[in-house]
Parts: sequence; C-alpha cells; structure tokens
Amino acid sequence: MKCSRIIPLGSKELIEGCENCKGHFFFYIREEQLEKIKENPIEIPEEEKVSIEKDIREIAGITEEDTPVILDLESVRVTGSGKFEIDIVNLFNKNRPLIYKLEEGKYIIDLASTLNQHTKDLKEIKNPDKE
Amino acid sequence: MAIKIIKNFFKRVFSSIFRNKKDIKLGFYGPPNAGKTSLANRICKDFTGEEIGSVSKVPHETRSVQFKEKVEIDYKGKKMVFKMIDTPGIATKIDYEEFLKYKLKKKVAKERAKEATQGVIESIKWLDDMDIVVIVLDATENPYNQVNITIIGNLVARKIPVLIVANKIDLRKADIKKIEAAFPEYEVVGISAKYGKNLEEFYESIFKLSKKI
Repeated sequence: MKCSRIIPLGSKELIEGCENCKGHFFFYIREEQLEKIKENPIEIPEEEKVSIEKDIREIAGITEEDTPVILDLESVRVTGSGKFEIDIVNLFNKNRPLIYKLEEGKYIIDLASTLNQHTKDLKEIKNPDKE
Repeated sequence: MAIKIIKNFFKRVFSSIFRNKKDIKLGFYGPPNAGKTSLANRICKDFTGEEIGSVSKVPHETRSVQFKEKVEIDYKGKKMVFKMIDTPGIATKIDYEEFLKYKLKKKVAKERAKEATQGVIESIKWLDDMDIVVIVLDATENPYNQVNITIIGNLVARKIPVLIVANKIDLRKADIKKIEAAFPEYEVVGISAKYGKNLEEFYESIFKLSKKI
C-alpha cells in the first residue's frame, strides 16, 4: 500500500515485505477489480496511510511491524468510532481471511491470525510452487 | 520375552482406553445476552463449586473465550468429564451507543464495542475445536435471525453435534414452540439458567449427544 506496486498472488514478498518499499501492508485486489483499478487508480494521502495501518494493526492485534497485513473485502466494517458491523457468514467461511473495513476505502485483513490456525496455508504462501 | 509381549499388550490396551477418555469439549454459543455464561456458570458451580465468568445485563459481558477444565458431570450415576468453553456472543452489529443505555461512559462503551467485535471473531475461530455445541437462545426473542441460522448452519456443515437450549423459560414472554418450529431437526431443551430449571433434561441430552462423537 505504501508504494502502490501490484504484487502477484502467492509472492514471497507478501511474507518478507515489498521489495520496493519494504512495506508489510497490502491491499488485496481481485482480478475483476484489477482492471477497474488500472483505469482509475485510488489515491490515499501519505499521512492517512500511516493512521490506517496503525488503527488496523491495533484492532487486529498485530503489533509487530514485520507481520504482513493484507486488505480485502470486509468481514468487519467499522461504521464509526465504536460502531462495528460483522459479516458472520464470511467469518465462518474458513477459506477467507479476516477482513476489517474502517470506512470507505480503508480496509485491513488479519492474515496473521487467520493463518496461525492454518499453518498449512502459510506454507503454501511461503512456497507457492511446492506441494 | 513372553512377559514383555504381555506387558506391551496391556500398555497398548490401557493407552487406547485413556485416549478415548479425553475430556469432551463442550462449547456454549449464541447471540449476546442469551445466557451462555449463566448456563455454563450453573453447571460449573454445581459440579466444581466455581463459576466460569461474570454475568451482566449489559450485552457483550463475555468478550473473550473462557474455559473450565475437568468438569465432571454426574447425572443419574453416570459420569462424564467435560472441558467447558464459554464464548462471547455472536452478533452482526455492535454499536457502543447501545451500551450507553446501561449508563456506561462513552469511552468505556467504545472500548467494550471494540472488544466485543474481537470476541465475535474469537468465538468463530474456536468453533472447529468443539466436540459438542450448545446453542443458547433467549426464548423471549425471535429465533429467526441471521446469527442463529448462520451458527447452526455452520455446525451442521462441520458435523458437530448440536443441542439447542431455549433459555429464560421463567419469563412470561418465553416461547419454546417458536424455537422448535424454527429448528425442527434439532432437539430443543427449555431451561432457566438463572433458576436452574429443567437442567435434568439438559444433562440427559448432553449425555445422549456425547455418544455421537
């Protein structure tokens, strides 16, 4: 999210950090969204990026800066300070990581805690080519 | 040599018996303020003398998963050991303003909302670890809602045995029939966790479900 580079799915950069800016904070883009985004890139001011990451890391309890956070569609939406909407259907779906939406255009995915329970998945991301 | 073989044989037999005797993980799930902790407390108090967690009128009192190990339930001479797991209430919307009605300060209410949200996530993450799930519903509330249907649907998908408890039957508004009609494939036991009403039927059902694991 820091340098707006698009990293392919399963890249080891998701674990080790972006090669360009060393960031561990990503926004997940679906294929169909990718086309749209290429046409109309979303610009987020620099200071807002810092505060989004701080808020998200606090809610998700991922304080270590090296732990990757990926953004996707929401399963937890923050509609205001102290106001939350939770998509439980999504949360129950084991294949989806935990996603927070802070407000319009501000999301987080708690990839770390989701994967703690499924270390197999983590291995797949670390070594996408291996079985 | 022969003694060694016999020794090994007994070792294997005994270890397999004890492996089967692992404590049954009994989870309490449901919407906030249905009485999950009240029921878990009632059981824990009856059989261990200790409670599992605090109870409050303010929703989302339980905001992290609570455990009680080695709860031996003795019912009609039969004994079974459970690990009790009391979970935070599952909700689709948590708004701090709801807590202000209970005279909570704004800052405290907002913190409670944040913790309650984390609690919902935690509850859901624990679901796969359960052997049996007791779904505690408030019998005075409408059972047809997204939370109840989603929880039950996911338990069925995971093949986890379910018991539905219609709590608060001591209240005049309570309607067990409505819960039974909403979930006709499941056994519904009406209880009052607060007054310890009809717990025998609850234990009977839990013992019956334990055989299905």
